[in-house]
Amino acid sequence: MDASQVLDGNRSLARRARSRMFRGSLQGSEYTWALAFVIPYIAIFLIFVIYPVVYGLWLGSDPASYVELFDDPIYQTTIINTALYLAIGVNVKMFLALLLSGFFMRRGWWVKALLMIYVLPWAVPQLPVFISIHWMLNGDYGLLNNLLFELFGIEGPSWLDSHWLALGSVILAYIWKWMPFWTVILLAGRMAIPQEIHEAAKIDGATGIRSFVHVSFPLLANLYLVCTLLSTIFTVGDFNTATFVSGGGPAFSTFTLATLGIRDAFDLAQPRVGVAAVMTALPLVVPLVIILMRKLRTAEVQL
Amino acid sequence: MGSVTRRSVLRGSLGLVAAGALGCPYIANAAATTATVWWTQGFVPDEDAAFRKLVADYEKASGNKLDYSIVPFAPLRQKEVSAVTSGVVPDVMEDADLEFAALTAWQDQLLDLSDVVETQKSRYSEIALLSRQLYDNRTKERHFYGVPMKTFATPFHIWGDLIEKAGFKTSDIPNTWDKFIDFFVPVQKELQAKGMRHTYASGFVVSTIGVDPINTFNAFVTAYGGDGIVTRDGKLHSEDPKVREAVIQALTRLAKFFKDGHIPPGSVNWNDADDNNAFHSKLCVMDFDGSLSTELAMINDKQAYDHDMLTHPLPMSNDGKQLPAQTGVFGAVIPKGAKNVEVGKDFLKFAIQPQVLNEYLKGGLGRWAIPMPSVAKEDPWWLDPKDPHRMTHTQMALFGPTIPWYEAYSPAIAQVNAEHVFQVAWGDIVNGGMAPDKAADKAFKRAEAIFAKYPIRQS
Repeated sequence: MDASQVLDGNRSLARRARSRMFRGSLQGSEYTWALAFVIPYIAIFLIFVIYPVVYGLWLGSDPASYVELFDDPIYQTTIINTALYLAIGVNVKMFLALLLSGFFMRRGWWVKALLMIYVLPWAVPQLPVFISIHWMLNGDYGLLNNLLFELFGIEGPSWLDSHWLALGSVILAYIWKWMPFWTVILLAGRMAIPQEIHEAAKIDGATGIRSFVHVSFPLLANLYLVCTLLSTIFTVGDFNTATFVSGGGPAFSTFTLATLGIRDAFDLAQPRVGVAAVMTALPLVVPLVIILMRKLRTAEVQL
Repeated sequence: MGSVTRRSVLRGSLGLVAAGALGCPYIANAAATTATVWWTQGFVPDEDAAFRKLVADYEKASGNKLDYSIVPFAPLRQKEVSAVTSGVVPDVMEDADLEFAALTAWQDQLLDLSDVVETQKSRYSEIALLSRQLYDNRTKERHFYGVPMKTFATPFHIWGDLIEKAGFKTSDIPNTWDKFIDFFVPVQKELQAKGMRHTYASGFVVSTIGVDPINTFNAFVTAYGGDGIVTRDGKLHSEDPKVREAVIQALTRLAKFFKDGHIPPGSVNWNDADDNNAFHSKLCVMDFDGSLSTELAMINDKQAYDHDMLTHPLPMSNDGKQLPAQTGVFGAVIPKGAKNVEVGKDFLKFAIQPQVLNEYLKGGLGRWAIPMPSVAKEDPWWLDPKDPHRMTHTQMALFGPTIPWYEAYSPAIAQVNAEHVFQVAWGDIVNGGMAPDKAADKAFKRAEAIFAKYPIRQS
């Protein structure tokens, strides 16, 4: 065997190895069929996932857009609002959901009936709900102030006409809308805890709060954290609540990054600045996604 | 029938893909006489019906087809911005607001439509022509980047019956600015004393949304002598003491009127339709709103339209001089990248023929005035005293002293207004407790920064 034959042999081996890498265990026509079936999905993924992401990154890649954004006097208020919205809205919602999931573990037909009513705010479409809340909170002819006047003779405040009341209203509406969903998730988590563990803890004297602190919560902790991270990521991009409850007002004082982005993109006809506004959430979102991914890879069995 | 094989499936799939790809240009070519048109939805159904008739008349006259969409102004604005950003544009778009054309012309995203405007140039009002000659930052020149089709002024809308219910007479309404506005304060008090707990003197929009708060601010600044805030050379005159004083006075007056409870509190969050709704539900005795949309929404209520509502022109300034009405002009643009420019232009040339445009705007019940004064003079319908609303509005928009919306002068003011810079100032006063002069300084600083980004070469 001369050197050229050895070389040819090596090349052929390399080709076969490459081919095996792509083909896996598929043989002949199986490989072609596999390609035919997978190509539409790859095409859809490229068009509807990769392209929008890359286009968004391209739109947000101009440094001048960030200069423009940081010069905007309402940007700082928007950042503070977003931080408050996330910190208060997400955490209060998740904590209350955790507590309520314990309540809904109780037996009895009325608890199940109550659960069905309780999940209604989540089940109803967002826009009519938030628009209804907007009208309910109207200072002049809203349901809430009319009730206050009819029942107690009190002239209620203009809920949406001052910064803090309006921001508080937005956060409350958000909690009311999304708490049922996370309650159901945490309820499912609680139901997955084997009953034997609770019974063993009970024998050791852990009941009530002690059972929650030493048994339920440690087992739910990972789920709770993952849910909180997910919820934070979802909420960063929440446009509907602020837009339809307070309209971002008064005087843009309840804007969040999502509403600022839309306003810059469409009202000011500056889509690049709008994308830049949303991009400034990345320093928060990217670490959250990384932590989330790590948590999801946790090897040990934990709820 | 042959059997289905792997090769036949793959061949068939490839054939379909190829047919799809090749079919697209074919469809476009086949529709060479079709133009896509996006138009703003009217406030009353008659406006949309009039547009549909205009389209049908054009199609009949030309043999071309118009594939049109009628969209409410807020989503239309978003659609238009998305279109010019992505490059997937229609052939003709109506302005969804007063800022869009100025901003997109600056960015060289619109076609020069001088040849279209030229066909009727002698018929147009000076304001109509001025308002559509927009500045392009690439060519450093002004051209007709839009075709004028509708014009409007902003009158006061008043419930005469509420004034009488409060024990006053409409003939008592004073005719100088501050006294005119103050007249409605005791009317409010009397009505509230009579049990109308939520009826306010005025429906001035003091929010940071839409056109109405800009309208309101500009009218107050003009009334106090600050109409030179932006001049024809596209410059902002923030250093002019007269302008600065007028701005401070306007902010002070509006903020005080609001804080004193003479404007519904919800007005800080109102959009353009909310003051109309508030007026219709008698939440306010007087409103200040552009065009005749307020009145026309109640045209079927004969008592309200013919007797109870008044359309009032601007009063005099406090020192008795006639105030100019700020007159806005809407129209159509053709974005760059439009596929069927010739059909688009042909449609616009057809639409702005005096008799055609007149019929179209009359079909819309005269919500918008025709931007051709001679046509309004020739057709008695526009100044018919039997309809005092239309007569007053036409008089204001076409035959009284007028000034254009400042967007005609500079795209910078389009951004200032889109950001609602001066409207944030009254928010600073009302919510933030800022002194009016400090709020004005803050607003001017922001406005100056924006104007610095839009240098205009003087010719």
